[in-house]
Amino acid sequence: MKSFEYTITDEVGIHARPAGLLVKEVKKYDSVINVTKDGKSAEAKKLMALMGLGVKQGDTVTVSVEGGDEEAVAAKIEEFFKNNL
Amino acid sequence: MKEKNSGQIFAAAQQIGKSLFLPIAVLPFAGILLGIGSSFTNETTIATYGLSGILHQGTALYGFMLMLANAGNAIFGNLALIFALAVAMGMAKKEKGVAVMSAGIFYIVMLVTINSLLVLDRSIVDGVVSETVKEGAITSMLGIQTLQMGVFGGIIAGLAAAMLCNRFYKIQLPTALSFFAGTRFVPIASMACAILTGAFLYVVWPVIQNGIFALGALVQASGYFGTFVYGCIERALIPFGLHHIFYLPFWHTGVGGTVLIDGATVMGAQNIFFAELASPNTIKFSIDACRFLTGKYPFMMGGLPGAALAMYATAKPEKKKEVGSLLFSVGLTSFLTGITEPIEFTFLFLAPALFGVHVVLAGLAFMTCHILGICVGTTFSDGLIDLILYGVLPGQAKSNWMMLIPVLLVYFVLYFIIFRFFIVKWDLKTPGREAEGETAHLVSKDEYRKATGVGIAGGKTSDTKFDEKSAAILKGVGGTANLVDIDCCATRLRLTLVDSKKVNQAILKSTGASGVVVKGAGIQVIYGPSVTIVKSNFEEFVDQVRSGTIPEASFMDAEEAPETEGPETEGPAAETRTNSDAPAAGEDMKSSVLGAHMNGMVVPLGEVQDEAFASGALGDGVAIEPSEGKLFAPADGVIETVFDTKHAVGMTTDDGTELLLHIGIDTVKLGGKHFETHISPKQRVKKGDLLVSFDMDAIKTEGYPCITPMIVCNTDDYQAVEAIADGEIKAGQDVLSVH
Repeated sequence: MKSFEYTITDEVGIHARPAGLLVKEVKKYDSVINVTKDGKSAEAKKLMALMGLGVKQGDTVTVSVEGGDEEAVAAKIEEFFKNNL
Repeated sequence: MKEKNSGQIFAAAQQIGKSLFLPIAVLPFAGILLGIGSSFTNETTIATYGLSGILHQGTALYGFMLMLANAGNAIFGNLALIFALAVAMGMAKKEKGVAVMSAGIFYIVMLVTINSLLVLDRSIVDGVVSETVKEGAITSMLGIQTLQMGVFGGIIAGLAAAMLCNRFYKIQLPTALSFFAGTRFVPIASMACAILTGAFLYVVWPVIQNGIFALGALVQASGYFGTFVYGCIERALIPFGLHHIFYLPFWHTGVGGTVLIDGATVMGAQNIFFAELASPNTIKFSIDACRFLTGKYPFMMGGLPGAALAMYATAKPEKKKEVGSLLFSVGLTSFLTGITEPIEFTFLFLAPALFGVHVVLAGLAFMTCHILGICVGTTFSDGLIDLILYGVLPGQAKSNWMMLIPVLLVYFVLYFIIFRFFIVKWDLKTPGREAEGETAHLVSKDEYRKATGVGIAGGKTSDTKFDEKSAAILKGVGGTANLVDIDCCATRLRLTLVDSKKVNQAILKSTGASGVVVKGAGIQVIYGPSVTIVKSNFEEFVDQVRSGTIPEASFMDAEEAPETEGPETEGPAAETRTNSDAPAAGEDMKSSVLGAHMNGMVVPLGEVQDEAFASGALGDGVAIEPSEGKLFAPADGVIETVFDTKHAVGMTTDDGTELLLHIGIDTVKLGGKHFETHISPKQRVKKGDLLVSFDMDAIKTEGYPCITPMIVCNTDDYQAVEAIADGEIKAGQDVLSVH
């Protein structure tokens, strides 16, 4: 498993539009990708679970990637977070 | 190897025994009707008790009694046919109805075949049985004069039909003959086999009958021991229907003794008894006749009710109530009327050894009565009714019936102890002891495997791979949840669906169908004459999906099929649907129609003034410009998330659609102001339940639009998500179709 931490900078947090973009991004990969905030975890491929975390601007989340090519996938997702969240 | 074989035979015998519980349930009632009716229409009985004033041919009461007797007798007289049907039903693994009908055909054809051969060899001439034939060897079954085979003939027919059905219900034939393939082949095969079986029995059965006839002569020649042997043989032959040919000579011919009564020569035990009963000169009934009559009282009135009590005592506690009434009635029937088939057949096939014990005890009962000089006659069987009529009423001096009472009591206790002991020792599956848990489950799974292994399109498919054609059909009609009924006619698979809009004709046609006709809730998929096989396979497949043997998601969503081997997907569909943590592969993508989530105007999603929604990045859906500040549930389902800011709700419908209901645009920035939620996460809601109310004017005043998109988050799981309404709409009216 590969994971990284990220602090959200987007003003609405992981909500509607950014969340939709994130789901689209992670669905490209076969790995199991989870987003954890304050002990609550959600599968990143599930829009509703993801938004249910209620991640706001300034919150720090842990993103974990588990799968065959987790190294590469984690790197790509981290880059996505930086560009969009 | 040998042990395994005997184990299989034992299992099969148990299965036959269980199959017979159904017809056995009707026997007590039939027995009581027959017992009462025949006792009061027996001319000797009527004459003896001076009832001829009110009971003679022509009186209403006599007619009624005759009707009761005939109704009861119809069951016993046709028990072989009834057993044939019941055994076929119990032993067939699939298409039980076909097996039952085939068993009826098999039995009738078998009888007619034997009849034809009997006519051919002049055993029957112009409908009259030749005098050269031994009494009781030929009887009339269903109006067909044939060899007396008792219920044995019926059981043969039932077993054969079930075997043929299990073997052939999915047979494929060349196209020219394909109308006759599949289940339609089973009755045809049954007819052919019945002719062969009938011919075989015509040759074999008389040999068996002759042997038994010879035994009778031997019994007559020996004293108490002879009586014992008579009792044993009579009981042992019951299952084969051979007891009639054995005892009838004793009852009605010189084998059973010849006596001169009031100047007339009377032959046969029963004839002698009734002549003595009618004669005013009788001082005591003759024991030489009654040694063949009285011996059944101890085990019919005492023993078998004791056995019923033992079965009740050893039944599982939770089953006692259920089996109590059955066991009580079969015990009572035996006691009252001396009809013993109901109880004997409950253990005969389950435990042949126990029946062996019963046979020996029956022999001892005959011998005991012989030794004690008890002379109670009988019309047809030894129950309370006959005991009163032919023992008590004639008087102790003539019958010595009082000696019978201690014998009955001893037999009651004896049977109770013996049956209880063996039922527990051998763990016999008598009523109320059937395994429900592991054993039954394993058997049925095994049967499933065998069934799939044997059959799909000629036995090529292994059990690890399911029938792809059936899977495609099921997918094409929208899954098991959309499927109500499966049927077929000569060329078409006829399915009744919940919603025929969910049909995907392209998929159906890819399964080899030449056409698809949709009519209302029904569809017809045209396959041609091979449709019966398609239907059988499809039915079996649907059964497996419904029982969870094959996860529905594994074929409903072809792309993710390889992942579905995992344990997560094996849970019941209902669970995976409402469980948002389940992997996507476990979801069950059913079509459904969602109701409007608000009162207001329908707005296409593309016209929503927010790129995130309008672009479909979050999924497809529809929006409503509300006329009232209320958000309602668009379908039954479970609330997944209620955002802290109260402006959006996520829910999963019972059909597996994941919905995001988002009130307003950018309203997340209000931080919950002007919103009030009425639900909490994990709560179940019904379509139309109020989810959130909000202050429309206040929100608009702060500069935010109130337009509310309903987004299908798992749009990718569907072929299409489309709005099916426009303009003004009321909450709950159909607005969005997902399929």
